[in-house]
Amino acid sequence: MTLTQHVRNGWYLGAWSDEIGRTLKQRWITDIPVCFYRLPDQTVTAVEDRCPHRKYPLSLGHLDDDGTLQCDYHGYRFDGQGVCVGVAEQADKPKAALRRFPLVERDGAIWIWPGDPELADESLLPDTSWLTDPNWTHVHGVVPLKARHMLLLENLLDLTHETFLHPTSIGNAAVAATPIDVTVDGDRVGFSRRMIGIEAPPFYEKSCGLTSPVDRWQDGDFYPPGIFVLNIRVAATGTEEPDGFHMKVLYGMTPGRGNETHDFYALGRDYLIDDEELTRFQHEQQLAVMQEDVDALEAQEIMYATDPGGTAESSIKSDLAALRGRRAVAKMLTREQQAGGTRPRASA
Amino acid sequence: MARQTVADGVVSLELAASSGESLPPWQPGAHIDVVLPTGVTRQYSLCGPVKDTARWRVAVLREPDGRGGSQWIHDHLVEGGELRVRGPRNNFPLRPAARYLFVGGGIGITPLLPMIAEAEATGAEWSLLYGGRTRASMAFLPELEGYGERVTVRPQDQYGLLDLAGYLGDPDPSALVYCCGPAGLIDAVEAHCAGWPTGALNVERFAAAAVRQPADDEAEQPIEVELRASGTTLTVPPGLSVLKAVEQAGVPVLSSCEEGICGSCETSVLEGEVDHRDSLLTDDERAANDTMLICVSRARGRRLVLNL
Ligand code: FES
Ligand code: FES
Ligand SMILES: [Fe+2]
Repeated sequence: MTLTQHVRNGWYLGAWSDEIGRTLKQRWITDIPVCFYRLPDQTVTAVEDRCPHRKYPLSLGHLDDDGTLQCDYHGYRFDGQGVCVGVAEQADKPKAALRRFPLVERDGAIWIWPGDPELADESLLPDTSWLTDPNWTHVHGVVPLKARHMLLLENLLDLTHETFLHPTSIGNAAVAATPIDVTVDGDRVGFSRRMIGIEAPPFYEKSCGLTSPVDRWQDGDFYPPGIFVLNIRVAATGTEEPDGFHMKVLYGMTPGRGNETHDFYALGRDYLIDDEELTRFQHEQQLAVMQEDVDALEAQEIMYATDPGGTAESSIKSDLAALRGRRAVAKMLTREQQAGGTRPRASA
Repeated sequence: MARQTVADGVVSLELAASSGESLPPWQPGAHIDVVLPTGVTRQYSLCGPVKDTARWRVAVLREPDGRGGSQWIHDHLVEGGELRVRGPRNNFPLRPAARYLFVGGGIGITPLLPMIAEAEATGAEWSLLYGGRTRASMAFLPELEGYGERVTVRPQDQYGLLDLAGYLGDPDPSALVYCCGPAGLIDAVEAHCAGWPTGALNVERFAAAAVRQPADDEAEQPIEVELRASGTTLTVPPGLSVLKAVEQAGVPVLSSCEEGICGSCETSVLEGEVDHRDSLLTDDERAANDTMLICVSRARGRRLVLNL
């Protein structure tokens, strides 16, 4: 597993809407420095965070009230379209423009397409309406991860790790013991696991007030290269599907710089939506669980990074979804490179 | 040998020694190895009465995705035909207990039948939860009906998944659980019994039918494999994987799991039709016929050309 090149022709979660305002925010995405900001009409903009003059980060510059972005090294100024409109030093305008990225802002999330703008297709985005649906409530944020995006992807596509890595919260023996069904639809990879009549894991016991036995369903969908949505249903055993407790977890797995990844998350539920105590509890738990993942992934990253010869991995049946996920990403990468990509070869 | 269809896709075979001699004794849970003329060996649980030393009964489910053993029995074994068998051996013995909870899924009912008879004979308390896809696919129902309320028959198309929680209940130190069936069922029962005393749960697994296993003993025909880049052509005999043959020919190729899971042995196919037996490739990838996992997959025809 040495896939460290990043697919760029795909949507990544670039930022949560509430992170971006009239200040300049730098975030590396697929090894590209990106500067996010809002224009006076509130539309969000993302440009490559390198000044065309001497590459100084524009995010260290400033934004005028009229939406003009100024580089604070030698004073290049750019309009809302990223076109250079002048420089403090001289009267005539230098010929320069910033690279701007296709963005979609929807349901409180800002999606960015770091690759060929011609190919940016909104229909590839998953349904995120639950993030703003009045019958749902959610918490969200982003956690820094010093591990390559593929490791996070495999972590999410192989939830058998819950049994071992999260035994005090969301995992118990039933997760690893229940096999998954894996489906592939074009580039998408989905899995589903039905745990029937199992012991309630502590997190669900507390967040749904359920006692064992419970039915627990996990349906994960990976929208390559970087979006994962988990549909969760927990119910007293025997309860019909629509009557259970529903939760959704969205992960934006956004490659940053080198082998760093932005681990965006949103955790939503459709019950007791006004219970702030519960919201706080769930958010704390979500972060605690993610920290367990982050610790594991960062330890794992070191092992992959220091094994350049790539000693063979051993794989088992429960890896199937993750292995298909790898293949999906590898295929996108190949497609991208064959389409005259400017990227170096992948070492997959 | 006498055969009889006992459910959709299930035949029961009654085997007697061709010499007319009595057969060796066995205990509930025992199985025999059936060695088919194709060279395939398959295990089948003995499911007739223990006391009958004149004949053994086994039941065989047709597994279209299996390794060909069950298909051969269904399609080629005729009434009065001969079979080579070995055994019996017992990896699934019934231990004494005051109470037994039996869980059978599909053809997994077979080892449980003599266990039930034994439990009944010793006066133990017992019950059986028997699941299957549909009622018609479930064998030996008339026989089980004789036991009355101790037996709960739950075809999935009518009842959905087995209510294991309701059936197994809380851990009972006096009870032993015996389960045989598909992997999913066994996994679920194992999950339920996680809190039971060690040893309370006894299972016998049979290979999942959905996934093709390594070709070893199934490969009926030798195939010819041309390695175009190396300019070599190999004959791969039955029982040897393409991967092994390629390695033996001194052509370096990556591999790891050798089970068709990890994908490291993936090789491009230039000509020939692939008989995919891996778990990893998607249906589209299989249909494209341009790549294969050579550790388990073989040829549909007699010849493959690989980019090696
Ligand atoms: S680097 Fe931006 S103006 Fe010089
Ligand atoms: S060696 Fe793992 S798929 Fe062939
Ligand atoms: Fe995790």
